[in-house]
Amino acid sequence: MNNTMIAGIYKDRKAGAFVNNRTYKIIDFKGLLVASGARERSLLFPGNPLPGIYGAGAFQTLVNRDGIKAADRLFIVGSGNVGLIAAYHALQAGIRVKGICDILPRPGGYKVHADKIRRMGVPLYQRHTILHAGGTEKLERVTIAGVDAGQRPLLDTAKTFEVDTLLIAVGLAPVDENYDTAASFGFPVVKTGDADEIAEASSAMFGGRIAGLNMAKRLGRNIRIDPSFHEKAEILKNPPGKTFPKQKTVLDERFRPVIHCVQEIPCNPCETVCPVHAIRLKKRRGNILDVPEYTGGCTGCMKCVAVCPGLAISLARRIGETKAEVVLPYEFIPDFTKGDRLDLMDMEGNFLEKGTVKKLRYYKPFRTSLVTLEVSLGNAPDIAGIRVQPEAETRPSKTISFEYLPEDAILCRCEMITVKQVRDFIREHHVRDMNQLKALRVGMGSCGGKNCSLLLPRIFRELNIPPEAIVENTRRPLSVEIPMHVLANEKHRDSGEG
Amino acid sequence: MFWPMKNTVTAGKDDVLMHYDIVIIGAGSVGLPLAYYMAEKGVSLAVIEKEVSPGRGQNRAAIGGVRATHSDPAKIAICRESIRLLSAMKDEHRIDINWKQGGYLYPVYREKDARELRALPKVQEKQDLEIGWISPERIRELVPGVNMSGLLGGTYSPGDGSASPLLTADAYFQLAKHAGADFYFSAKVRHIDIKGRYINAVHTDAGAFSAGLVINCAGARAREIGLMSGQDFPVNPDSHEAGITEPVQPLFDPMIVDIRPAENSQNYYFYQNAEGQVVFCITPSPLKPGFDCDNTSAFLPAVTRRMIDIFPRLRYLRVRRTWRGLYPMTPDGFPLIGYNSEIKNNFLAAGMCGQGFMLGPGLGKILAESLVDHSRSYDFIFTQLSPYRTFDNEEALK
Repeated sequence: MNNTMIAGIYKDRKAGAFVNNRTYKIIDFKGLLVASGARERSLLFPGNPLPGIYGAGAFQTLVNRDGIKAADRLFIVGSGNVGLIAAYHALQAGIRVKGICDILPRPGGYKVHADKIRRMGVPLYQRHTILHAGGTEKLERVTIAGVDAGQRPLLDTAKTFEVDTLLIAVGLAPVDENYDTAASFGFPVVKTGDADEIAEASSAMFGGRIAGLNMAKRLGRNIRIDPSFHEKAEILKNPPGKTFPKQKTVLDERFRPVIHCVQEIPCNPCETVCPVHAIRLKKRRGNILDVPEYTGGCTGCMKCVAVCPGLAISLARRIGETKAEVVLPYEFIPDFTKGDRLDLMDMEGNFLEKGTVKKLRYYKPFRTSLVTLEVSLGNAPDIAGIRVQPEAETRPSKTISFEYLPEDAILCRCEMITVKQVRDFIREHHVRDMNQLKALRVGMGSCGGKNCSLLLPRIFRELNIPPEAIVENTRRPLSVEIPMHVLANEKHRDSGEG
Repeated sequence: MFWPMKNTVTAGKDDVLMHYDIVIIGAGSVGLPLAYYMAEKGVSLAVIEKEVSPGRGQNRAAIGGVRATHSDPAKIAICRESIRLLSAMKDEHRIDINWKQGGYLYPVYREKDARELRALPKVQEKQDLEIGWISPERIRELVPGVNMSGLLGGTYSPGDGSASPLLTADAYFQLAKHAGADFYFSAKVRHIDIKGRYINAVHTDAGAFSAGLVINCAGARAREIGLMSGQDFPVNPDSHEAGITEPVQPLFDPMIVDIRPAENSQNYYFYQNAEGQVVFCITPSPLKPGFDCDNTSAFLPAVTRRMIDIFPRLRYLRVRRTWRGLYPMTPDGFPLIGYNSEIKNNFLAAGMCGQGFMLGPGLGKILAESLVDHSRSYDFIFTQLSPYRTFDNEEALK
């Protein structure tokens, strides 16, 4: 049943399904497997409800699934993998990405993704927060600022960017309410993927296998789950591990891979794609998190360059005494030809030199262009990518524009309730139960409390109310609003009163 | 009527005993207004509540209707007082509880119901209640788009109305606190210590209390509390499911009560609140006794079918949320109000039969006057609603 939402799990062991926005089906079930993924967290800053500000996941749906160029000029909050990949997809769609900011000191996502984005010419502003989003009818500008050790904004460092879209990529929260309800009723229920624990897709795919077996077990099948499955699942869930220094590279006349991937992440296509096993994961941990290294014997087939999702492998060889040739992956429609000179960047996005395009080919099985460039021998081992966005495009606006009124941020978008209203109410009414905030209509809107319940813990924390003292909003069906005639299952709409 | 002032109390060795003139068990639809109207008179008062915040028992499940048009003098008097108090809340205390005087409307499609309902207003007219039989055309004026097919007329009481149970509970909570009442939450009553014919101490998760008078306003749990003080009051809940839609522009004013039974349900009722949201509730058939408040799958299809039938304009309105609450029932459908016959400093105000929200404010005011100021004006209420009555007259308009 596609295009179907579960609107409620009921005590009589039935699920209410809203099908195609047209029908309401009550479904009998024995067991429930919840793999409903995650929803995006939002962020509190003044101007946050302006049109043009939304989740990076929603943006990716528009751009990747629906093929819509959803913005012209973009800024992103959050340097996790979601924010980084959203920036990449935006660039591919021809959208200018003015920058990514994050309050953390280092990018939250994989280093290969952060580096890739930097090389393309997108500045990453770490230890920065968003101060204000401005615009009359819709978003016109965002202002960010650096933060001190206590994460307080340093207003004198404020920078304003003129953008039409701001993507929020500050993390995900499991969509697990149906699991919780079913579990509280004592039904056989298993959750998996982001609904269980936020992690990468590879982990989710493997976790799904275990969840399926678990469900069968819960329903009485005689099933043994290989203990190594759980081990592997745990490994795949790992956040990025240690970062190592880059391997020293000496070039000769034969092509060899240069690996710009130095952080432990669960990824290994380079190892598996190499026909001569010239790239192997260096055994430190002895699992998929290990960092790849070149062990000799490259035939120059370029498969590793094309396959790497982090665009973190180049091929290089020496040409004569001072020159060299590098092969770089390029996942855009090339707007250059042989003889053009391109800005070439090191692993972390610093400009090294201009290189001359010698050859351009499309590697169909991997749907990636491979660009061969002539470069200086000295820089060749460090050259990791091609800038796609000129530096001038990402400069902040000359006029800094913001009003620093953090309490004006909207906490409840359904009912447009500000942070100040909520804080004052919590203080004055000594609130410890989120349900009490319903007197302000927080939690009474069409979202059913899905958004505010994720933002409220921070408000309580700022008021020095410990999390264990707080009672969460009660969840009740429906999780999506459904018209009465659908619920009533009217066979046909009569043409009478309406 | 007065309670013996502070007993000589002996605390258990682990407890610090807290003394109050009055302890109210339950911060709900009845306990909250009672706390305010009593604290306002200057008595020292504590409210002890097992939930973490006020109104989290059955008040949160009330849909908000308030009517004086009952069939007996006691409830008529109490609810009249409720309407007076709730409608004055904004002027008197500058607190908006979304009071709306939309009236109650009982549209009638069956001859049998017409006969019964046309007889009732005569009883009510004697009490000077504003209620009368109106024509189908008048009903259409009040509810434009109502199903006219087979509509015989109905009774209408324009003085009745509605308020937000949530905002009302919060209002009385704030008022009671300002009047000096102390509130103890997460304070489930574990044991009531009786010495002779007095409650010596009420032991809770939040400490032990002694009082000149302990009032049982424990709603659906009133029987459990009563048993701790040696009395088995016949309060047994059954459950009803309710729901609320998205807000829309005003469509109709009155609370609509359809008294016809149908497959798997009895009457149901709905109104549009001051926020523009349509709130609805249905009585299941057979009744579902017990404390279960989890949603069931049968509710929404059943209630929406009936609502669309009587008022087709609701068809495209989207339902937002549903819940299930308890009607703490008594054998005859009337509340139990009065002193414990065995324990002198114990009073019972419970068994509201699903009408705690509409009875609460008036009852609170009347009890404060009767128990604190010794007014005798309401003795007829205590006679009629005595917990020790014989329970042989059934409520006609549940």
